[in-house]
Amino acid sequence: MRNKKRSDQNKWLTLPGMLFFFTAFLLLGLRDFDYRAFVLAAAMPLGFYLLTAVLPRFLPADRLLLCLVNFLCGLGILTLFRLNPDRGIDQVFNYLVGVLGMVICLLIIRFWHRLRWLLPIIILISLLLMGLPLLFGQVRNGAKAWVSVFGVSFQPSEIVKVALLLVMASLLSHRMVIPALAFAAVCLGFLFMQRDLGTALLYYASALILVYVSTGSLSFIGLGLLGGGTAAYLGYQMNTYVQNRVKIWQNPWADPYGVSYQVVQSMVAMVNGGAWGTGLGLGNARIIPEVQTDFIFAAIFHEFGLLFGMGIILVYLMIFVRGVSISKRARTRFHVLLSLGCSAIIAIQTFVIIGGNINMIPLTGVTLPFISYGGTSMVSSLCIMGLLQGVANANQRGLEEDEMIAMLGEDR
Amino acid sequence: MKLMKKKLRLMVVIMSVMMISLIVYGAVSLGASGNRWFSSSVNTALRKVKSDVIPGRIYDRDNVPIAFNNDQGERLYHPDELTRRSLAHAVGTKSGLVKNGAETFFSYLLYAYDAGYFTRLSAALTGNLRHGHNLRLSLSSRLSRYVIDHFPSDKSGAVVVMNYRTGEVLVLSSFPNFDPNNQKGVASDPKKPYINNATQWRSAPGSTFKVITLAAAIKNIPDALNHTYTCNGALEVGDITITDAGMASHGEITLQKALTVSCNIAFAQLALELGDEKLRETAQAFGLDDHILFSDLVVENSIYPKRNRTAREIAWTGPGQSALAVTPLQMCMVAAAIANDGEMMEPKLLLQAVDNSRVGKAQMSANVYKTPLTKPEADLLTQAMREVVKSGTGRRAAVPGLPIAGKTGSSQIDGQEKTNAWFIGFIDDKTLPYAVCVVVNDAGEGSRQAAPIAAKIFEFLNQNR
Repeated sequence: MRNKKRSDQNKWLTLPGMLFFFTAFLLLGLRDFDYRAFVLAAAMPLGFYLLTAVLPRFLPADRLLLCLVNFLCGLGILTLFRLNPDRGIDQVFNYLVGVLGMVICLLIIRFWHRLRWLLPIIILISLLLMGLPLLFGQVRNGAKAWVSVFGVSFQPSEIVKVALLLVMASLLSHRMVIPALAFAAVCLGFLFMQRDLGTALLYYASALILVYVSTGSLSFIGLGLLGGGTAAYLGYQMNTYVQNRVKIWQNPWADPYGVSYQVVQSMVAMVNGGAWGTGLGLGNARIIPEVQTDFIFAAIFHEFGLLFGMGIILVYLMIFVRGVSISKRARTRFHVLLSLGCSAIIAIQTFVIIGGNINMIPLTGVTLPFISYGGTSMVSSLCIMGLLQGVANANQRGLEEDEMIAMLGEDR
Repeated sequence: MKLMKKKLRLMVVIMSVMMISLIVYGAVSLGASGNRWFSSSVNTALRKVKSDVIPGRIYDRDNVPIAFNNDQGERLYHPDELTRRSLAHAVGTKSGLVKNGAETFFSYLLYAYDAGYFTRLSAALTGNLRHGHNLRLSLSSRLSRYVIDHFPSDKSGAVVVMNYRTGEVLVLSSFPNFDPNNQKGVASDPKKPYINNATQWRSAPGSTFKVITLAAAIKNIPDALNHTYTCNGALEVGDITITDAGMASHGEITLQKALTVSCNIAFAQLALELGDEKLRETAQAFGLDDHILFSDLVVENSIYPKRNRTAREIAWTGPGQSALAVTPLQMCMVAAAIANDGEMMEPKLLLQAVDNSRVGKAQMSANVYKTPLTKPEADLLTQAMREVVKSGTGRRAAVPGLPIAGKTGSSQIDGQEKTNAWFIGFIDDKTLPYAVCVVVNDAGEGSRQAAPIAAKIFEFLNQNR
């Protein structure tokens, strides 16, 4: 009985996505006769099924959440493959590594009660990582946030993002507010020195939310907002790069061929798409600079249209709401804070980058979670989902224990 | 724990509001300015569309074809050279030589960008080129052609004629102009004939601005038209002296009289008495400092100077100098608002768009852009401006039998030998509801150089009513 219900649920969760990926890659394959597209047309629906319906059998997790996240990752692979097939294939591997990270993070949360001693080590490693770019960093898009090790370049702040959530949730759950704030402040300081202001905004907002929810103290919030406001003002005054971004935001049409070329092309790409999009493979979103990372939302909007784009935003909102519902069912302070932090940071990141794409807020160079090209970003986003799934897993085990106790009670 | 969980609901509310605001902002900004972005020259996708679609024809208000493709697929304009020159800036060119002419600004219609999947698919399958929509503009090719005959051929400037009750633009001509059928060398011409002086060029409007200063007085001073000042031929403000044209000295003078003879000194004193804020308020009510986004036209924003100016700069604003920068179209709209009982209509260029099988795709609808004046205020200003044409500097704009109201202007431009001649005015008759703005650059006084051209236009409108 229960199995029948589950398989029904699985069907409705997986079938639409499988169909979508199958037809989409088939279409791309028929258009370019690229064998890789045909391979993906078979592999993507299969992978989607395995990771959405089969994986939770071995590792209890929230399947709706998993489904949504896998769909977004698949959409990212599809869009990247369409823009540049090599990047699409790269992204498949990024995704697989990310899934591994997700599973590891899930297990870490599951066995956290035995792993707590790791916390000081995590803090230490995080601080070391944050310092790296200042010593050996490379500048990209005005931020010195990249580090290259053995030819593999990555963004330490993305990895520390996962650690930040873990550390903050853990410290705050033991009411160690000051150490938690200190850790967040040091990280923020490093980010400011690297001029990675987009990421700094994410750290800041999620730290603020966690402190507020755990302490309920409005004076902390007031202080935090004051500090954030001052930092933003100083950052604006001291950094011409930030001033330019604000100027572009105020009137992108002042210099459409120069500084605001990117944003204007993104806006034009969206309007070329219109309500229904140009159709997959028929657009020319490639002319937007950085389309594979910062502006991938505009590319999706361009080919799939306004309604689909709005749907994507709703998918992110659903992920957040689902995350909060996990948080609501959580049984320890640590779990509540961790799952809330994870949901919030993904949602805020989404808001910041999509808002930049549609020129609602100034553009900051953060990635669109699960979709943008990039190994570090993909892995860190999926790791954050892993933490969230860990809490979901703990909730389910809690429920089962309850049922068992109840049944034992009846037997007696 | 419970307290913590209570706050979760708040988080859901906040985040939902943020995400939904993304959706709303995206949809609204696309709906409001999407056509503008689509038509902009940065849109490279437009080039691709252009090769798949035969652009629609453009007609003037009397259904005279003014832009069309011939059988070889070349884009041609009105067969008479002077006519197509007179329309060149408003209509624009396929190549986009003129920024935001109808040819580029309405490209979403001309290239039928709203076509559905079915139309696109059937065109792709049959291999036929699709047809764009045909447009009917509010322009009058006859009047535009007539204006060219009466505008000094060696001067630059602009002429705007609009219907003040509906906002329809009949003439939007710029000088010097060019032949859209033969654009060789136009882009590199040092005179820049491709610039539309009516919408893309800004300058101090000279004494035509006095109607705005007077409007501010009517709003803020009781019985303003009989308010008096003393004009000794010179007014010292700070380290400079404001004088009148020809060093005239008017003595004791009412504001009505000061407008009629265009006395700078009285208006400088009025500006100082009103103060910068009151003047700015009224100028902004007339649309200065607006971020203009009309549905049919792209116009540079007209600017009232920034705050914290010296007394002499404020004094010079009264008679329309200082750092004022307005477009001729804006000044035409100012005259039109006074004529239309204080309601400023949004200027319209597109009367109608129909697709190849005559199904309507767009239709003009008149709408009020701003209401700078109440009806009594507008009536007072109209009365004052009629006096200008009856017995003042605007005499040369008078047409026997027509109730003309107007104001002349001669704005001083640094490094220019003569002043720019301005005239704004209208026919104070709701059955002949037209407002004009004429600007002849580096020509001399508005009363001699611009007003007579306006008179010719009023005559034409009367004869062809």
